[in-house]
Amino acid sequence: MRERVKLDPVSLTSGAVIAALGALVLLDSSGGLDVSLGWMAVALTGAAGLILIVSGLAGERDGRSG
Amino acid sequence: MNDETPTIDDPGSERPDSAEPKRQAGRPPRRLLRSSSDRVLVGVAGGLGRYFRVDPVIIRIGFGISILFGGIGALAYLLLAIFVPTDGEPDRAQRLGGRLSSLGFWRGAGMVALAALALAGLFGLAGGAAFAVALGWGVLVAIGVIAIGAVLGLTALRGGARWLIAPAVALALGAGVAAASDLDFRGGIGKREYRPLSVRAIPAEGYRLGIGSLDVDLRKLGWGKRRVVRVRVELGAGQADVYVPSRVCVTGPTHVGAGESQVAGERNDGLDVDHSAGTGVRSTPRLEIDANVQLGQLRVINSDTARIDDPDYGPGPMHEDAAPQRAAEARACANG
Repeated sequence: MRERVKLDPVSLTSGAVIAALGALVLLDSSGGLDVSLGWMAVALTGAAGLILIVSGLAGERDGRSG
Repeated sequence: MNDETPTIDDPGSERPDSAEPKRQAGRPPRRLLRSSSDRVLVGVAGGLGRYFRVDPVIIRIGFGISILFGGIGALAYLLLAIFVPTDGEPDRAQRLGGRLSSLGFWRGAGMVALAALALAGLFGLAGGAAFAVALGWGVLVAIGVIAIGAVLGLTALRGGARWLIAPAVALALGAGVAAASDLDFRGGIGKREYRPLSVRAIPAEGYRLGIGSLDVDLRKLGWGKRRVVRVRVELGAGQADVYVPSRVCVTGPTHVGAGESQVAGERNDGLDVDHSAGTGVRSTPRLEIDANVQLGQLRVINSDTARIDDPDYGPGPMHEDAAPQRAAEARACANG
């Protein structure tokens, strides 16, 4: 019988967020978009915040189930 | 028996005339513990406030202020969080402290050193990514960040790879900051000084430097009475100083990605500092400047006496008053 693999929401969210940040850097570097430092700071802190929130929620859920 | 328990608990030692020890007998021993009820992060300030009988808000403010002075408060907070137990259920910080204590001093110190090394590695990754972007490899770095993000997302289906999050965030952070601030280190590194004697000696593409100190002294230029000179200055990171005679009116846009701009006595700092000097002014002699410093300081100095080899010259809180430069600029731009 095949073992059911558990989906890790933290890795999934972090991967999506980091890929989105990479896309933003790509657009800015290739000249497709001119992102100011202020907006980049907003994007970076927002990304870090989202990762921390998901990590916190996942940790809480693991704590309850574990 | 607990060492800190008052000896008055011993029934044999109690005397009828000792009223003060009787009162103390009911109190729990005074011990520094993190607070589980009055907490914002892990209850360090709440515990300290209770121990020293001070409002925890004052301690929180103290920690906040101390972070601004070299971060010693953050280190103290971290150590207290790990090594001071909580008065409630053992939390993650306490379990970490227990684990470190059980390792012994040298192993614990080794673990701390490893953590510091890992942190330095993350800073190195962020700096390396920023440097690569500034050298013109932004697209490659961005594709790398996207690829790491995709790999991380895919590993989620197989249990995840959370260890990859911190290095990936460090890479994205360095690349993002460098790309957004348009860091460009391709103009070389070092110190450059230019003292053109004629307008023709000023390069059409302007003066450019990647990292370092860029000084452009236009005071020996033959300005004449009606001369208008256009100069472009581009600096990736460092300090750019443009010197003009006090009788020259300075106009034109300047931009500092992150840092400070001091244009003719006007001082602005922060992120994306845009300044436009003397919009619409047609006075002569006039310098029409177009300056862009991505990270650092830009100064346009209206002074006949400022020395180019004096790095401390100029307006600012620590140096000369900006008022004489503002006055010189106002006079120069008012005289048509």
